[in-house]
Amino acid sequence: MIAMVDCNSFYASCEQVFRPDLKGRPVAVLSNNDGCIIAKNKEAKALTHIPYSEPLFKIKHVLEANDVTLFSSNYTLYGDLSDRVMNVLRTFSPDVEVYSIDESFVNLTGMQHIDLETYGTQIKEKVVRYTGIPVGVGIAPTKVLAKLANRISKKFPACKHVFVLDTEDKRIKALKWAETKDIWGLGKKHVERLAKVGVFNAYEFTQLPLSWVRKEMTVVGERMWRELNGESCITFETLPRKKKAIGTAKSFGKKLSDLATIEEACAYYISETSEVLRAQKCCCTYLQVFLTTNYHSLYDNQYRDSKTITLAVPTNNTFTLISEGKRALQMIYKKGYRYKKVGVNLLGLIPENQVQGNLFATGQSLNTTLIKTFDTINNRYGKSTVSAGLSGTKKSKKQWELIKEERSPRFTTQWGELLEIGIIKKTS
Amino acid sequence: MELKIKKIQRALVDYNGNTSVQTGFPSPATHYREPVIDLNQALTTSKEATFYVRVKGNEWRDFNILDQDILVIDRALSPALDTLALVIEEGDFNVIRITKLKSQLELWGIITYIIHKAI
Repeated sequence: MIAMVDCNSFYASCEQVFRPDLKGRPVAVLSNNDGCIIAKNKEAKALTHIPYSEPLFKIKHVLEANDVTLFSSNYTLYGDLSDRVMNVLRTFSPDVEVYSIDESFVNLTGMQHIDLETYGTQIKEKVVRYTGIPVGVGIAPTKVLAKLANRISKKFPACKHVFVLDTEDKRIKALKWAETKDIWGLGKKHVERLAKVGVFNAYEFTQLPLSWVRKEMTVVGERMWRELNGESCITFETLPRKKKAIGTAKSFGKKLSDLATIEEACAYYISETSEVLRAQKCCCTYLQVFLTTNYHSLYDNQYRDSKTITLAVPTNNTFTLISEGKRALQMIYKKGYRYKKVGVNLLGLIPENQVQGNLFATGQSLNTTLIKTFDTINNRYGKSTVSAGLSGTKKSKKQWELIKEERSPRFTTQWGELLEIGIIKKTS
Repeated sequence: MELKIKKIQRALVDYNGNTSVQTGFPSPATHYREPVIDLNQALTTSKEATFYVRVKGNEWRDFNILDQDILVIDRALSPALDTLALVIEEGDFNVIRITKLKSQLELWGIITYIIHKAI
């Protein structure tokens, strides 16, 4: 059996752990740059007239009228609480597949002799006690069914967020309840195709002949069909797939025209991404930089371009990449536009130890020592304690950094931002 | 059915074999190296359930908790009589000494250590 454990309204729940005064009240979390809503808790979801992805300024009055508490996204905090949740899950099974920041599959193979409903309840209770994050647990023989069981655990209050799909009766009832569009892994196209042949729920789907499914929906559909029929065929992946490319592109806090400031943001993003590259023990062969104006703006002249540079020798050295990035940016930058975003992609990743040297490349080994020291300092004293000069100072960053006006403190990773309790808070 | 599942624990102090770094006489300490004392080991039991909280003001002076102290909070522990706890009362945090195990207690975590700055 497999358990699918997922956190209830994860981002909002993370905020509420440290804000007990918000219990039972609507909470929403904003996207990078505070542009729009990306997450809501149960109470905020109940206010149905608040859409996701709508620009914040357009709905601000509705949010205020309904007393919705807004938070800028605080991924440092969410990441730490996610790690805690996953580590608690690992005390229930050695085999945990972290599927996303707030979902995991827990392999319960070989635990048939225990009462799974009790076990599921223990999982739910231990996670919330240790971390403060409420979760739902769905247990079933296959991943797709576990995902469905999880959905049911949340939809029906009687389940109390734990549902075990362990009998043929329950399976058929669940399949008849689930619409095809709600089946995990079934894309929109497949749902439309199924609707054309009169299939609207999961049960009807499992009653189709396998030969038809294979022909019309390829191997993906076949896997879904088998999984829903109780045959486990999606394996456990306990190791994350290595990334083939690493990139970042964030909108500026405000529009920028000045090359020097854009260079700074670009250098900073390169610095961030090359850290990930080194953590993954890879080097990149190509560096791509792109620059764009705001395509949604009706008033600005539009321009966008990108440049990909082939590196003389694949590298993960921040400084080499920054100077190449600067070169690329200068090639595409044109004066007179108001730019909204600069992006960086590191492509053609190869393992660090497979880099082919170049007869003319020198100075590589010297830089390696520097970059190791660089990483050591930043690991010990925090991100960007030391950084490349071009990537800006705290003060100059204000010109382009993301707006995060409502970010909560990083309660679990910064001594300076701990949760504070006491009279001071009470009088405020 | 009662289930107790625990992680297998590593030995707390493991012998750390090493080669001598001295250029002259090899160090007689080479085979006796141990990891240095780590406060996390002494002050916390499970890192998943450990949180740190800073105290502002002297509201809880009676519990020996002073302004700027840091509380080590363990959420994994069950409330026991006479322990200090961080609780939620009317949506706000409060520190109490547990004198009665009432079920309506909204517990945030048990206070295991109070870190007080001496200088």
